[in-house]
Amino acid sequence: MTSPDIHALGGAYALDAVDDLERVAFDRHLAECEACTVEVAEYRETATRLAEGSWSVPPPRMREQVLARAAATPQLPPNGHRRGVASPVTRWRRLAAAAAVVGVLGIGAAATTYAVQEQRLDDQRTAVAQAQQQADRIQAVLAAPDAALHASDLNGGGRVTVVVSDTQDAGVVLLADAPAPGPDRAYQLWLVPTGSTTPVSAGVLPAGQAQATELIQGVRGRAMFAVSLEPAGGSPAPSTTPLVGISLV
Amino acid sequence: MNDPGRFPGGTGKPAEPQPERSEIDNLLRAVARGDDAAFTRLYDLLAPRVFGLARRVLRDPAQAEEMAQEVLVEVWRTASRFDAQRGSGLSWVLTIAHRRTVDRVRSEQAASDRLQKVAAASVHVPYDEVADQVGSRMERQQVRRCLDGLTELQRQAITLAYYGGHTYREVATLLDAALPTVKTRMRDGLIRLRDCLNVEVTP
Repeated sequence: MTSPDIHALGGAYALDAVDDLERVAFDRHLAECEACTVEVAEYRETATRLAEGSWSVPPPRMREQVLARAAATPQLPPNGHRRGVASPVTRWRRLAAAAAVVGVLGIGAAATTYAVQEQRLDDQRTAVAQAQQQADRIQAVLAAPDAALHASDLNGGGRVTVVVSDTQDAGVVLLADAPAPGPDRAYQLWLVPTGSTTPVSAGVLPAGQAQATELIQGVRGRAMFAVSLEPAGGSPAPSTTPLVGISLV
Repeated sequence: MNDPGRFPGGTGKPAEPQPERSEIDNLLRAVARGDDAAFTRLYDLLAPRVFGLARRVLRDPAQAEEMAQEVLVEVWRTASRFDAQRGSGLSWVLTIAHRRTVDRVRSEQAASDRLQKVAAASVHVPYDEVADQVGSRMERQQVRRCLDGLTELQRQAITLAYYGGHTYREVATLLDAALPTVKTRMRDGLIRLRDCLNVEVTP
């Protein structure tokens, strides 16, 4: 994603004024653009100068606490890939590292799946494997060279961000700050095929859940993504006005 | 404050931060090798800055203390990842501190709550507000002088994001400005600040 649009995000990125998915997208942009890396390092350096005025002496007890905690905390080993123009391998690792940020979110979403299945103790191993698989799929989408980011506010509050990749034929949906539906209602995700007006379900969140990182499959040939509030378990077709419709083309 | 190289009305001493900055870089390298004494010294240099920043953004001393502890232990843990080619050690630490603090703000409060809070505080730009700050007066003066050199929109966009922990979308709402405009003002405002503060990163 080297569009001028992402490039313009450099200032907001350096000020930590972007959301998680934009951060990942921009990290990926940086991994591909050595000149931007220097530029953004300068923005960062500049931004942190703004902290200079905020000097405040912490309570004395903090010193002992920090030193004690540090003494009990193992340190990361040095990381060998840190300088010069990124080799393809370094670049790939940086991509993976960037994707890992949201990979963590992915694991969070997968952990819900895991919790549901927890009662079946003998299925534990399968569930963990699935969770890992889903986290890997999410990483693959975010790291795809053609991944495109779309974001919009929901009617009634909250925000949805969608990253879709045609080559992966999949997308990642991040729902945040939306009002919690009642215990018998659920947010449902939809995709509208190109040239059609009939939405196809792309997944239903658990009833009552308002935060999610979801993997959606089959985004190729889909013109629009939408979210609606449905009875728990979802509907075959939207039964309420969608809260948001995002064009994917 | 016409001459940024001097303390206003002061000793005429050049800015102190330069040696301190390279000291922080060196200490971080020592900490990466597990040097406890270096970490203690680093703590003394960094703790008021990290705590001050967290306090300014979180506006709650107890939460700021918890956050500062977390950040400083993280500095110990990840010191080997500091790369002087990507900027100064101080900036590296404050970047970790700012990002974590902002993440905390965002996870704890719904965006609408914060928007209301800030709207209620009537967008008075908070860059000169913290009462008990003591250190680095000269730096502060210079940063302030450079902030004053920005356009109103540039300054508000940058300070709302940095001190308020707001995303550019929230900033656009607060300032009633278009999203692309806010993105651009953040970037060109930082460029102007960078040039005014003579910030340079040489890879």
